[in-house]
Amino acid sequence: MALNTCSEGISFVREMEEASAALCEEMAKLFPESAEKLQEYAKSNNKNVANVQRTYFGVITDGIEGCYAFNLEPELYAIDATLPAGVSKADALAKAIAVEETMARFYADAGEQGKGLTADVARAFTMISRKKGERVEELKALCK
Amino acid sequence: MALLEEPIKEVKVLKNYINGEWVESKGEIVDVVNPATMKTISKVPISTRDELDQAVKAAQDAYYDWRRTTPLARTRMLFRLKELLEENFEKASRIQTQEHGKCIDESRGESRRGIENVEVACGIPTLMQGYVSEDVAHGIDEYCIPTPLGVFGVIGPFNFPWMIPLWSIPYAVATGNTVVLKPSSEVPNSQQFLAELAEEAGFPPGVWNVVHGGRTVVGGMLEHPDIQGITFVGSTPVAKDVIYPGCGKSGKRVIAQAGAKNFMTIMPDCAVDQTIAGMMTSFFGNAGQRCLAAANAVVVGEDDDFYNEFVAKVVAMAKGIKVGYGLDESIQMGPLRDVSKKQNVLKYIDLGIKEGADLVLDGREFTVLGGYPDDCFVGPTVFSNVDPKSRVGAEEIFGPVMSIMRAKTLDDAIRITNENPFGNGHSIFTQNGAHARYFQYNVVSGNVGINIGITAAMAFFPFGGLKDSFFGVLHTQGKDAIRFFTDTKVVIQRWF
Repeated sequence: MALNTCSEGISFVREMEEASAALCEEMAKLFPESAEKLQEYAKSNNKNVANVQRTYFGVITDGIEGCYAFNLEPELYAIDATLPAGVSKADALAKAIAVEETMARFYADAGEQGKGLTADVARAFTMISRKKGERVEELKALCK
Repeated sequence: MALLEEPIKEVKVLKNYINGEWVESKGEIVDVVNPATMKTISKVPISTRDELDQAVKAAQDAYYDWRRTTPLARTRMLFRLKELLEENFEKASRIQTQEHGKCIDESRGESRRGIENVEVACGIPTLMQGYVSEDVAHGIDEYCIPTPLGVFGVIGPFNFPWMIPLWSIPYAVATGNTVVLKPSSEVPNSQQFLAELAEEAGFPPGVWNVVHGGRTVVGGMLEHPDIQGITFVGSTPVAKDVIYPGCGKSGKRVIAQAGAKNFMTIMPDCAVDQTIAGMMTSFFGNAGQRCLAAANAVVVGEDDDFYNEFVAKVVAMAKGIKVGYGLDESIQMGPLRDVSKKQNVLKYIDLGIKEGADLVLDGREFTVLGGYPDDCFVGPTVFSNVDPKSRVGAEEIFGPVMSIMRAKTLDDAIRITNENPFGNGHSIFTQNGAHARYFQYNVVSGNVGINIGITAAMAFFPFGGLKDSFFGVLHTQGKDAIRFFTDTKVVIQRWF
């Protein structure tokens, strides 16, 4: 069923960020040479959640159309953030890149759809989408 | 989506909060029912006149000390309250949903709006300053001091159980007055919780009192010689025929905010997709139980294709609205507050059909997601080709019913809008600035929206309607509230 409300959009984002953070933490244990960067990413995931929630709870008012913020199919943004046993670094990074790309796409689409009605929340989504794009490039660099 | 946890878990009999004590009422006890689940969540007393009198006496006794507390000290208490409101934001929001039925996004919006009024009232050291003219005559100075008046009564409605009392109380107590609040007996838990937080914030006994109840308490407030003024939000008949004359008879100040029939003018040059999304929340948000909810959409122009396509898009989007229990985050529309309100909406749907409007979306046929009992639910309803003078086009329905009508020109749309006796929150959707300004200038409405469906004034602006939507002079919120809760004392001084 489509995601429509601001509230469920925020919850969806939280779940994705938590899954992404858990993936980064797990990769940090598996690949100590990149641990510092991956742990930094996990912290950044948590900051994204805090940022979105702070924005939402700060601007949600009776005048904001929170119940009609988006029309997004969650299936299109499904992520697989689990690592199989014995995964290689290249495969793990590929998975992390796929997760981040999907999240960047979700943030961008939600930001675009919500910009008319949800004010700062949509803006926060768009800004995080840009950050996610930067992370994707950094993860690609780690593959080299 | 999983259901968010309900904050009220066991059925308790609510108590009055008088003179800093939680006191059992001797009045009749009635059930408070969650309209989505139809489960009793608490029991509320219908307090007696004697209990109201005790609260007013406590408020009057507390007033003498409270008005001598410095504005800064009063502000610090409001800051503490604001902290507690933030800490308990989610709980307060879920209580609103549990007792009223509105969606969690709407409840959070209501919580935020309430807090914003506390924030504005925190500016009282400057907001309450007077002014001075030196040498109005040689050696004579004149100055004006805003002073509090005493005890105020606040009568809350059912549709915004948390926010609306906060349009008044922060300003009343910040300016040095004391209050007796009567929450709606349909949704008393929100104000019970707010009073608990006010107690924790440290308001002295008697400054903030809550007396649950009904007509006896309201009647007692109107008559009581120690109550200096009343703020009320509710229906036009009660505001016009009971509250306003009642206050006049006993010489009280009054803010009586009343009913509405809000018109939304749709220009052919509007941004259609954004307009329709804005319409959904305005017509169907809070299940239409807002005094600022749009009720009539006036589509301007003689282009039949535009009209038909617009109506079809509106119906398609309205049909997709998810109806259910608001603690499910995916839900976009909750139930009406109670069974009688649903029956009233159904009556108007029947009436609209009899009056010849086209029922293009029948809210009697819909699905409640989650399998909740449908006792209080009505789906989004859309009539097209509505006569603005018909009952369905002219009277307040207070439910999720959209009436679409046509006007040849913008002038016609404004005329149709202004012929209605209400004037609370009319709006226009257009991408043309000249149209927008012309509408804003000529429409008779206390609040005007330009590409905004819910014309709710922020806390630092006054909120109130015109015509049959408001009875009184000053409005709630912002500087108007400061003036309402203070009188001006002018001093002329000369020293020999």
